[in-house]
Amino acid sequence: MSGFAAVLRKDLRLELRSGESTLALLALSMLVLVVLVFALGAARVRSVDAAAGALWVAMVFAGMLGANRALLAERDNGAIRGLLLSPLDPATLYAAKLAAALIFMAVAEVGAVVLMVLFFNLEFDASIARLAPILVLGAIGFSALATLLSAITGRTRGGDMLLPILAVPIFVPALIAGVKASAAALAGAPLESMGDWLKIMIAFDVLFVTAGYLLFEHVVDED
Amino acid sequence: MSAPVVETHSLAKTYGLAPVLREVQLRLLAGAGAFIVGGNGAGKSTLLRMLAGLEAPSSGHALVFGQDTRRLAARYRRRIGLMAHQSFLYPNLTARENLEFYAELYSLGDPRASAHQWLGRVGLAHVADTRVRAFSRGMEQRLSAARAMLAEPALLLLDEPFASLDHDGAEIVAALIRGALERGASVLATAHAIPEIDGVEFAVFEISRGRLMQHTHKEEVRRGGRIRSLLGR
Repeated sequence: MSGFAAVLRKDLRLELRSGESTLALLALSMLVLVVLVFALGAARVRSVDAAAGALWVAMVFAGMLGANRALLAERDNGAIRGLLLSPLDPATLYAAKLAAALIFMAVAEVGAVVLMVLFFNLEFDASIARLAPILVLGAIGFSALATLLSAITGRTRGGDMLLPILAVPIFVPALIAGVKASAAALAGAPLESMGDWLKIMIAFDVLFVTAGYLLFEHVVDED
Repeated sequence: MSAPVVETHSLAKTYGLAPVLREVQLRLLAGAGAFIVGGNGAGKSTLLRMLAGLEAPSSGHALVFGQDTRRLAARYRRRIGLMAHQSFLYPNLTARENLEFYAELYSLGDPRASAHQWLGRVGLAHVADTRVRAFSRGMEQRLSAARAMLAEPALLLLDEPFASLDHDGAEIVAALIRGALERGASVLATAHAIPEIDGVEFAVFEISRGRLMQHTHKEEVRRGGRIRSLLGR
């Protein structure tokens, strides 16, 4: 547990010091939402379907950036080797990296939700609160997947480009479930009515977190 | 006779089609010191990385504390200190924060006290709260030595520990190596030429194009004459 806390604390300290990830995630979220608002036009700007879709596009982009950055710091000066040589269990390292990516993504999500409400002329009401569990499930699943994949792509040339190519297709089922559940939540539907979509998201969360926990040590090794 | 801390059998490494290490036989006993000398690209760093379990051999095997380095458990990894070309330090953390972080990873009792003690030992106490990115190469090298030795490992693998160091820095690192040997640790280091460390006796190996040869006397290497392999190859 002390290894998990040490890595997470170190990542948060590095982020607070530079602010690189959080600022980049917020800027990217804003950019995506602005582009989509103009692309969709005035007629669709009050559509909850369009708002939910735009929110998830922003989240996926932000999530990829966050996961990439969480492991990027470990490539500087070969610090990843220092971690792998230490008594720290690679699965614990994965858990700490996942937690850091999740925190960065959560901050970006809060910003993205505020921007979505403003840009899509929605109200800050109970429907926004109902989005919270859906976004949390989405963030867990995507962070888990992107953290695992960024350990692979970070070792390759052009890995930044490879991450979306690998991550997005694998995440598509959970993404569809997230968009559908979010649209329903924004339309005022109760959480119970989104049961099937939430079950799909929970299943993918369990799958991605378990896969990451078990496979991380095999993919993070530099050799 | 003490058990070997490091033992390799026909260890070989190939990157693509290029062999980097060939049939390396090496034995290092507990409490012993040895230097591997060789030019750039001779395979010194690769050998140390394999002994640390950070790279897998292409063939043969390496044992550290009697364990195959491809599957080193945490309790064996914590007994290895590696000082590599890369410092493994975080540029945006201060010297103190870097050492405290590693002290926590190694579950040292009081990370702050350990960091403080080691910063003093490598002569960096006055820049403890300076970020590593502002350090010169030599200062980073000294901090890297402190990081590698922080948990007082039983085996120290030092890749060119005197590179980039000025006279004072070299004296500090030499004293740390002497101290490690005195407390019974084994030290395996690499260098381009055999260094002088007062009061320390160590075996000398020469590595050339991936082949390792052991010498009985430092003078054999210094003279550059015909080298007799003790390993029968």
